[in-house]
Amino acid sequence: MTTLEITDLGVKFGDREILKNLTLTIPSGSYAALLGPSGCGKTTLLRTIAGLIRPSSGAIRFGKKLVSVSSLVLPPHKRNIGYLPQEGGLFPHLTVSENIGFALPKNSKVNERKHIIEEMLELIGLSSFGDRKPHQLSGGQQTRVALARALATKPAIVLLDEPFSNLDQTLRAEVSEEVVALLKRTKTTSLMVTHDREDALVSADLIALMREGHVVQFGTPENVYMQPISAEIAESTGDVIELPAERNKRGKLISPLHESKIRSAKDAKAKKGEFGSLLIRPEEIRIHAPGKKHPRAIIREIHYYGHDAVLELELPGLEKKLKVRVGGPIKYKVGAPVGVEHHGPIRWVSR
Amino acid sequence: MTVLEPMRVTGPDTFPSSKTSPLLIIAGSITLFIVALPLFYLTKRALEVNSETLRIVFWRFKTVEIFITTFSLALGTALIATLLGIGIAWALNSVALPGLGLIRALVILPIAIPSYVFAYAWLSFGFLPKGFLAALFVLTLTTTPYVTLAALAAFRRIDSSQLDVAQTLGLNPIATFLRVTLPQIRNAVAAGALLVALYVLSDFGAVSLLGVDTFTRAIQNAYQGSFDRSSASILALMLVAISTLVIYAESSTRQRSRVFSSSVRIVRRAPFNPSNRVKIFSMSFISVYLLVALIMPLALLINRFISRPKPIDFTSLAQASISTISVSLVGAFLALLLALPVAMMAAQRSRLGLWSERGVLLVHALPGIVMGLALVSFGSDFPRIYQTLGLLAFAYAILFLARSVGSTRSAISKVPQNLTEIAATLGQTRSKIFLRVTLPLAAPGVLAGTLLVFLSSMKELPATLMLRPTGFETLSTEIWNNTSIFRFSEAAPYALLLIAIAAIPTFLISRPDRDLEKGEI
Repeated sequence: MTTLEITDLGVKFGDREILKNLTLTIPSGSYAALLGPSGCGKTTLLRTIAGLIRPSSGAIRFGKKLVSVSSLVLPPHKRNIGYLPQEGGLFPHLTVSENIGFALPKNSKVNERKHIIEEMLELIGLSSFGDRKPHQLSGGQQTRVALARALATKPAIVLLDEPFSNLDQTLRAEVSEEVVALLKRTKTTSLMVTHDREDALVSADLIALMREGHVVQFGTPENVYMQPISAEIAESTGDVIELPAERNKRGKLISPLHESKIRSAKDAKAKKGEFGSLLIRPEEIRIHAPGKKHPRAIIREIHYYGHDAVLELELPGLEKKLKVRVGGPIKYKVGAPVGVEHHGPIRWVSR
Repeated sequence: MTVLEPMRVTGPDTFPSSKTSPLLIIAGSITLFIVALPLFYLTKRALEVNSETLRIVFWRFKTVEIFITTFSLALGTALIATLLGIGIAWALNSVALPGLGLIRALVILPIAIPSYVFAYAWLSFGFLPKGFLAALFVLTLTTTPYVTLAALAAFRRIDSSQLDVAQTLGLNPIATFLRVTLPQIRNAVAAGALLVALYVLSDFGAVSLLGVDTFTRAIQNAYQGSFDRSSASILALMLVAISTLVIYAESSTRQRSRVFSSSVRIVRRAPFNPSNRVKIFSMSFISVYLLVALIMPLALLINRFISRPKPIDFTSLAQASISTISVSLVGAFLALLLALPVAMMAAQRSRLGLWSERGVLLVHALPGIVMGLALVSFGSDFPRIYQTLGLLAFAYAILFLARSVGSTRSAISKVPQNLTEIAATLGQTRSKIFLRVTLPLAAPGVLAGTLLVFLSSMKELPATLMLRPTGFETLSTEIWNNTSIFRFSEAAPYALLLIAIAAIPTFLISRPDRDLEKGEI
């Protein structure tokens, strides 16, 4: 049970600042994801927490224990962490059991070591695989063994660096689910780096969105998805449409979607007479038969996904295509006119 | 609360490139000092020269002619061996030959035949000519495996999907080979060719038996012909200069390439070439090579062995084998001890490590005869160790140190960085990481390097002749003593035994089924 607390962390590679005054607190026992495009510094942050990279400023605390302050650092082997790199990184010259027992003291209490290894093997469901070599395991099994190795010493914090990236898609969801369940059961504070937004949304308790060395937004998956602070940040958790909008002098909200229907903008932060944009998720738009009740749009493209589909609509007053997610059987045709209605929260972003 | 410590770093602020430990620096410096000794003594002796000796060196020893002969022999051998080696490696890698494993081991085996044994087999035919072409022939056949080994390893690293892509882009097989395969095996083959050239430059036995005037022979003549050893030292320094030049030429043609892979890469091998014509051609090509490079000399030796007039002197045979094996083992072990710190530092890419590696490479250019000469000089300053077995083992260690360093360094730097990082996060200190992760994974390479030194030491002749204690005979000196006075039949048992013993490490080094990815040793 350890809180991970990062304060004003800075990391430089030569003159290049990779992390800038980064502050983040992961509550004890939660499973957090670092989500961001490649090059935003998420792996650097993870490796700095592990002690593999020396920061230039800031502090890192594991609970009450200070492990890093400015450039003074506790070396990685003294941090009691679990680390799961990409592709697992199992030692190829050791068996599964030897890998899991790698960090367990060898000389004293042989039985205890054996007991822990067996317990871990059982935990990951590979009890009969102890004598195998890593190359005899499938990708998913390797990941699970790597996790068991990381958990064997009961670490305060587990760090995962895109642990499922080498697994194929169907296996990825399955192994990810198992790993999260294991980490939850052991109540380990965990931090996972990923660039797969679905992975983060589905599995994490908390998501930290990173951009250019900063954490720009941090919250529950629902929070970061539903209340993004900007259009760019909204994109990292899912598709988003940015709609030019205005709140007129009388307090009414006007946009290509809202021109005929006057809606209260109480919950929007806009001032009267201000121009800005509205952020809309594709699933927040409803399609109607064309008529006078709703703004009229024309279907330009249909992307069919099986379980649902995304329509790209041409809407007067909007330069880009309007993306709309529709479920159920698809009964639309390219070129056909439809009526569109916004059915969701108002997310106002000022210019 | 735990005390924090400053992390000592050089270059990028990451954990594994942390500063070299002081212990390693001391050990590496000792190696460097030891390696510098022979060069120091050689220069010291050469500085005693006067204008009269210089005149003698240039006129009596015909330095220019010697230079041309030596240089053309080295270049010619390297060129032909490179072509042969690439061809053999290509055939082994791309054609489904019957008994592939056996053939793979056999084509490497000529390394186990010392050049002077081959030359002696050549002479014992009775009617074959001596001279430059004979030396070129003999040296090429015995050195081809150096290129074969290097090329074979390089071929196996090429992913077959690259070849598939090249063909879909419209390249025919020859163009594919030239534009995709060749650039990727280039560095490895150049390194093999370098070994061949250095082998020829330092060869003493074969050129002496076949009567070709190269530097090594001239050095031996100068050394034996006068009490003034400075002229021999001057010739020796010239030879060192040529060798250094060859090393420099090889390293400047090398294209720098970095492998951006955090872990062991899995390479798909290309399927075998299905064409029957290619198969028959490859088979006959390799058969001819094996016939002249392996079977012919062995058959001649066996023939001499059977038809010898006197019974075998088992005591001296046993004594010579024990001497050979024990001194070579000590030499190989010394080389391992000296090589480890340098290889570790070089793998960490610290500045000191890179300089030490260059220093070791420079000494690699020292031919055995030059090393002998330098250590004779050294020994005359320290008479207590002169003509001791220790000094001989020491000479072997320095002579072949570069092989141990090269093999150990590349094995250490091939250990994926993420494995050492994980070990660190699993609570292991730096020294424990080295013992539990790096060393076990690098063990095959370290062992191969040590075996290489052992093998080379067993075959070594000129330094052994100069530095051995009086009355101490190894297999190589016994062969030399007998062949130089044309007692071919008496030499045969020693030669056969030496080849048989040398074949064991040769086989182990070239074991084709070794698989690093599976952690096999």
